[in-house]
Amino acid sequence: MDDIYKTMRISSAGMRAQGTRLRVISENIANAGSLPSAPGELPYRRKVITFKNSLDRAMGLDTVRTNKVVEDKSEFVKKFDPNHPAADQDGYVQTPNVNTLIEMMDMREAQRSYEANLNVIKSSKAMLSSTIDVLRR
Amino acid sequence: MDFNKMSLFGMVKSKLTWLGQRQEVLAQNIANSDTPKYRASDLKPYDFDELVRKEAGQLNMVANDPSHLPGRRRRIRDYASIVERRPFETMPNGNAVVLEEQMAKINETQINHNLMTQLYKKHLSMIRVAIGSGK
Repeated sequence: MDDIYKTMRISSAGMRAQGTRLRVISENIANAGSLPSAPGELPYRRKVITFKNSLDRAMGLDTVRTNKVVEDKSEFVKKFDPNHPAADQDGYVQTPNVNTLIEMMDMREAQRSYEANLNVIKSSKAMLSSTIDVLRR
Repeated sequence: MDFNKMSLFGMVKSKLTWLGQRQEVLAQNIANSDTPKYRASDLKPYDFDELVRKEAGQLNMVANDPSHLPGRRRRIRDYASIVERRPFETMPNGNAVVLEEQMAKINETQINHNLMTQLYKKHLSMIRVAIGSGK
C-alpha cells in the first residue's frame, strides 16, 4: 500500500515539473515578438528549464525537481527593417532568439510526458481500488 | 489461524509487495523521462528464490517498558533494483528512459496486480466453503 501511495507522490512531482516547463515555454512564445524600442537595447532572450532528480527529505523519496530557469545564450536573429525605431545604422533590428517551431515541439513533449505521469497515477489508482475490493465480500 | 502462514496467502502477499515496489520504481522512471543523464531502473524479476527466502531470521527489539525505544524498521528487506545497462536509445542530454517501454511495464504490473487480488479473493472463497458459509 505504502509503495503505491509513494508512486502517486512521485508522479505528481513529475506533473508539477512538466507544468513549470510549460509555463516557461508559454513565456517564450508570448515574447517571440518582443523587440527592443531603441538602438543598442536587447530584445527578449529565450529561457530554458532543466530537470534534476533529487531526494525529498520530507517524503524520503527521489523526486523530480526543476533547476533554476536559465537564459539561452544563442545569438539574436537580425532582421532588416530600416524604419523600426530600434534599427542600427545598417537598418537591422535584433529580434528574440525564439524559434516558435522549437517551442511548439517542446510543448508537445511536455504534454506527452504529463500524460504519461497521469496514466501512472490512473494505473496506481486502479491497483489500489482492486486491493480495497478484496475487503468486499 | 494466521493467513500469512498458509502458503496460498503468503505467496499472494509477497507478490503484491513486489508489484507495489515495482510500480514505485517505474513511476520514478516516467517522472524522470526528461531529466538529463537519468537512466531507467527496474526490479529484478520475481522468481522462486523470493518465495522461499528466509525472513524470520530478523528480529525486532523487544520493549518491556513504555519508555523504551521501539526500534521500528520500515520493511524487512527491499527487493533489489537494477539500473538498465543497455538502453534501447539515449537522448542527446544523456537521458535513457524509453517511455513506451515504461508504459508497457506499468500495464503489465497493473494486470498482474489484478490477477493477484482476484487470486486472493478466490482463496478466501475456498476458505468460506470449508467453513460452510460459502455458496
